[in-house]
Amino acid sequence: MTAVLSAPPAAATEEGGLLLTVAGVEEAAPGIRTVTLRRPGGGLLPAYPPGSHLVLSCGDRRNAYSLTGDGMAAPEYRISVLLCPDGDGGSAFVHALQVGDAVVAAGPRSAFAPVSTARHHLLVAGGIGVTPMLSHARAAARWGRSFELFYGHRPGAGAHRAELADVCGPRLRAFEQAAGLLDALGAALADQPMGTHVYVCGPAPLMAFVEETAAGLGWPGDRVHAERFSAADLDPGEPFVARLARSGGRVPVPAGVSLLAALEAAGVAVPSMCRQGVCGECRLTVTAGRPLHRDLYLSPPEHASGDAVMCCVSRSLDDELELDL
Amino acid sequence: MTTALPGTAERVARFPFPFAADTYRYSTNVEPARRTVPTAAGSWGDRVLDVDAAYAAELELRREVLQRDPTRCSQLPHMRVAAWDALMTLLPELAATYPGAMSLQQRGDRWLWRNDLIGSSTSFVPGDEDSLPGGPLRLLGSQIQEDVVLLDQREGSLWADAGLVTFAADWSMGFDVGMRFLEVHGPVPRVHEAGVVQRAEQFLMRLQPGEQYRRTNWTMTVDRRLDSSTETYPEWGRDRRLVVDDPALPDRLHLRVEVQHLLRLGVSNAVCFLIRTYLLPLRELATVPEWRRRFAAVLAELPDDMADYKGLTLYRGAAVDWLTAG
Amino acid sequence: MGALHTSVPRWPAEIPAVDPAGRAVALLAFGAAGKRLLTAWRAAVPERTPVWSHVVDRADDDSLGLLARQVAEARVGWRLMLAGPEVDVLAARSVAIGLGVLDAEIRMVVTGAARKRVFCPHCRGTTETAAPVAAEVPCAGCGRRLHVYGHVSRRLGAYLGFMADAEEVA
Repeated sequence: MTAVLSAPPAAATEEGGLLLTVAGVEEAAPGIRTVTLRRPGGGLLPAYPPGSHLVLSCGDRRNAYSLTGDGMAAPEYRISVLLCPDGDGGSAFVHALQVGDAVVAAGPRSAFAPVSTARHHLLVAGGIGVTPMLSHARAAARWGRSFELFYGHRPGAGAHRAELADVCGPRLRAFEQAAGLLDALGAALADQPMGTHVYVCGPAPLMAFVEETAAGLGWPGDRVHAERFSAADLDPGEPFVARLARSGGRVPVPAGVSLLAALEAAGVAVPSMCRQGVCGECRLTVTAGRPLHRDLYLSPPEHASGDAVMCCVSRSLDDELELDL
Repeated sequence: MTTALPGTAERVARFPFPFAADTYRYSTNVEPARRTVPTAAGSWGDRVLDVDAAYAAELELRREVLQRDPTRCSQLPHMRVAAWDALMTLLPELAATYPGAMSLQQRGDRWLWRNDLIGSSTSFVPGDEDSLPGGPLRLLGSQIQEDVVLLDQREGSLWADAGLVTFAADWSMGFDVGMRFLEVHGPVPRVHEAGVVQRAEQFLMRLQPGEQYRRTNWTMTVDRRLDSSTETYPEWGRDRRLVVDDPALPDRLHLRVEVQHLLRLGVSNAVCFLIRTYLLPLRELATVPEWRRRFAAVLAELPDDMADYKGLTLYRGAAVDWLTAG
Repeated sequence: MGALHTSVPRWPAEIPAVDPAGRAVALLAFGAAGKRLLTAWRAAVPERTPVWSHVVDRADDDSLGLLARQVAEARVGWRLMLAGPEVDVLAARSVAIGLGVLDAEIRMVVTGAARKRVFCPHCRGTTETAAPVAAEVPCAGCGRRLHVYGHVSRRLGAYLGFMADAEEVA
């Protein structure tokens, strides 16, 4: 094959995002739809670090979905989405897509990249949490990194099992029972060479198990990387009041309603994109009160300093949170 | 010296004059890349990689510097993916900017790079070090006038873990490799108290794949000496004193401007820091009255600690005198 | 460690405690003063936590090789504690970090900062000296007088030195 590049493959994304066409739709597992997206005229899409999201416009909202490729500039992006009947409608939107449909996406967002100095990468996936891990595993195989993948899923419902077996070979350890997965993980976390990093994505109990087990075994936080794949995993939280320092307004934020949604309902315009604490768009400056951080975007020092909040997912520890609005 | 250099007219017209006011302080002065900036004499900034009339001469100079001192190209082992990523991002960028003269083509696993401006062609397999003796950074450095530093992101910091820097303004890539971003800037006065470096690091850590920004920095250099690194300080240090009483001062003293591009590389997640150095002698700078007046004002007002860090102390008085005498 | 913005290490005023989160601890001390700190740490390690501990004279090929072998055998959860003169502690940290140990896994205390290694970028030689920062020292490699600069490479475990009189007219 001879290809002549006429444009930089990794150039900045177009203003206003990427216009893409649905090039393929298939069932990855019961209830899980894999969608292949291409540029309408063909051509390479921007490269991305493993574990990145594509932020897709889904009707009137935007949702972030993990890209499953190895991250090299390629003609297509693939996402795999679990239908969540109780979700916010994003997954239903994706499941309704047909070949030929046009969609709009923002460029890839990275918040879950592999650590380049790691001597070994221990990847842990539960259920649909396998999507970023497929990306990690593909990139690790391409670049010759040492890795293994623990993958737990319901019997018969393991999305991407065959591809993972291809990519990982004996480095894939799949489990159809939670107990078996947790036992094996506990043993693995207790016996990793120095320089190992662990990455986990899956249901909240699996994430908590990995984080708590690792901490109990003396893993420092810098070696443990967790990707919460859905804001739906977040609990509804306590009600609080947002005080607007500049305009003097007060906006009540009930349990189960995000600060962002409450502000919007009150007519306060806040730029936003992913609404899952990933993209960084909706950052607000906090002038008083202590934020309850639930985002994946701000760094630990920024969380500690407490002077900014990602209002799409984060809330308030205090009854009132004062914002620079 | 007979090396062909860009003529005065082109050098002045494309010079990225960095001062927007009559005083200068460090700031987190980043802006999106590729936006053209009009100046009093022309414009600059429409491209990330800039080939000018000194292209062949500067690449030859880089080759000589690297031959004398291979540590100017330093890469920690974990930066392998980032180095390939930089090559495979910037060669296509270069070909897209100069399509008539350069091209990158894929033939199966191999990629062919052709550069007619310097009559070079090479082929390699991305990710396969055996296919490219010297490695991706050395190939990249033989094709672009810019110096390159690659920053890794981990443990809540950026780390200067690889680079090819032959045209450093008074610092050493070989010594600094492996430092945190904040450590690299440790010796710079004022910026830490002002939070400038911390803010810059936070900004860079939030760059998303493919995003491209730039900033400028400046200092002064005696003669058209691109390699004013710490390594060669014994060769050029005394010129800072000798130039003061030299009647050729306006021809020897140069305003040195770095256009620094900051690119988030897609595959590796590294931040690629490109440093392009432009040198303009005071005599040519003074042909633009606005630049002459403004640079004199900036130099005269600059606090002593900043002037000292930039190495201007010995000759800045003489420079201000000459600029204001006209 | 505070003061991350300078490359010159600012050592904690208080002696760091044994990290209670560690599952195994390696203690490496240099010299007599380091040994006293190591003894105190050793006593503070929780009873069932495995301890590897060595007291050596200085960071040389032998002692750094010993450390490298220990890191190679260690499992995540391991912690490293270093005590001794700055020059030795920096050298040991450099070895550990090069093998994938994180800053978060190392605690250090310095019993003296007089001795230091100074890297000469002009000849790439390294000189060991007791000269303080901003003083001058002759380079053991090229003989130039070097100004000891407040800039430290964690990789080399050395201060930067540059020619002190380069701007003088001979």
